[in-house]
Amino acid sequence: MDFIPGGELSRRIRQGDVSAESELIRQFEPGLRVLLRRRTGGDYGLLQDLVQETLLIVIQRLRGEGIEDPQKLAAFAAQTARNLAIASLRKTERQRTDVDSEATDRKADSTQSVDRIASDHEAALAVRALLRELPQPRDRLMLKRFYLDDHDKELICQELDLSEAAFNQALSRARRRFRQILEERGFAKRDLLSLGL
Amino acid sequence: MNQELIEQYVAGRLSEPEAQAFEDYCLANPEFARQVEYEQRLKAGIAQVARGSTAEFVRAPHPLQWTLAAAASMLLVLVAMFYIWNPGARAMAPSILAAANFAPYDGPSLRLALVRGSDTAPTLPPGLVRVEIVGLFDVGHQYSVALDRLEKNKKIDTVATLNDQQPNSPVSLVVIIDSGQLRAGPYSLRVRKQASGEEALDFGFVKF
Repeated sequence: MDFIPGGELSRRIRQGDVSAESELIRQFEPGLRVLLRRRTGGDYGLLQDLVQETLLIVIQRLRGEGIEDPQKLAAFAAQTARNLAIASLRKTERQRTDVDSEATDRKADSTQSVDRIASDHEAALAVRALLRELPQPRDRLMLKRFYLDDHDKELICQELDLSEAAFNQALSRARRRFRQILEERGFAKRDLLSLGL
Repeated sequence: MNQELIEQYVAGRLSEPEAQAFEDYCLANPEFARQVEYEQRLKAGIAQVARGSTAEFVRAPHPLQWTLAAAASMLLVLVAMFYIWNPGARAMAPSILAAANFAPYDGPSLRLALVRGSDTAPTLPPGLVRVEIVGLFDVGHQYSVALDRLEKNKKIDTVATLNDQQPNSPVSLVVIIDSGQLRAGPYSLRVRKQASGEEALDFGFVKF
């Protein structure tokens, strides 16, 4: 689908064009998810909240006063998301430093609070399916070294006696299969905000 | 933008200005952003699987696990079929919760939105209340809305369910609640996109 420039989207939303709002969500939601995933520390619930909040703020702003430079709509959305992420982080930090009974309870229950963070269960399920399908133990270990241990490719190739080409090929195959598993199971479109995709 | 840059971003190896430039590019290129997100999800999924044990990375799963998983799946399917085919199992109280048409409404109204950090829940006024649920909705799909009463013992009692609701716009869905039929206490409206695996969104309020 074509990418509609920010200026045109802004104008149409200001004129009350509902389809332009859907289009804005379709265009910006994937990028916002990338941006906010990095800033929400694996808290999937918070990620969803912040993406939703960002899009609502942007749409409401365009319906009302508009933005200074409509051509820079994407940059405005990105900065709004960053500001919301910072505000959310500050709030969490404040809660951690508040000395009241509620905060003390939270601290005492810190192991549970980690578990309470809403995780990306679909991704975990797809990874499990992927690991089951990988015939070579070496390929599973390669994924662990690369994504979990954050080792350099060069080091992993040395350890597993792989050429760089073989490494890239195996990694590319694993990525493709991971995406395929998510799509087959409908997880790729699972998020509330994947509108019109 | 190439795969190596995606890897560096996902691994957190870019400087902040570089990462922000990368993110700005993602905002302007949805298909590229999706590619990045798959990489993020792969990394996150691996971290999650490894949280308990890294055994799955070094050996194949035991065949018994497959048998147990298949049995559990079958049980889930049977339970779901029973639930679908047994109307008595579903909470239906249309007189408490009703669909709203698109006509102007002069009665009491309430606007529910997800407000993170808010400690106070909005109050449901008396009468037939027009409740606007603010969120992001897919106008081409139907939603179910369940009204739950939140008991003190954390038990959730579904008092009414409304299916096949169309959003009024990409950012709002409206229903009518008969406040007079509700006991005082905390409630939640649970909104779920039908025929999807998406998790429901909860919007809390209080009836005095």
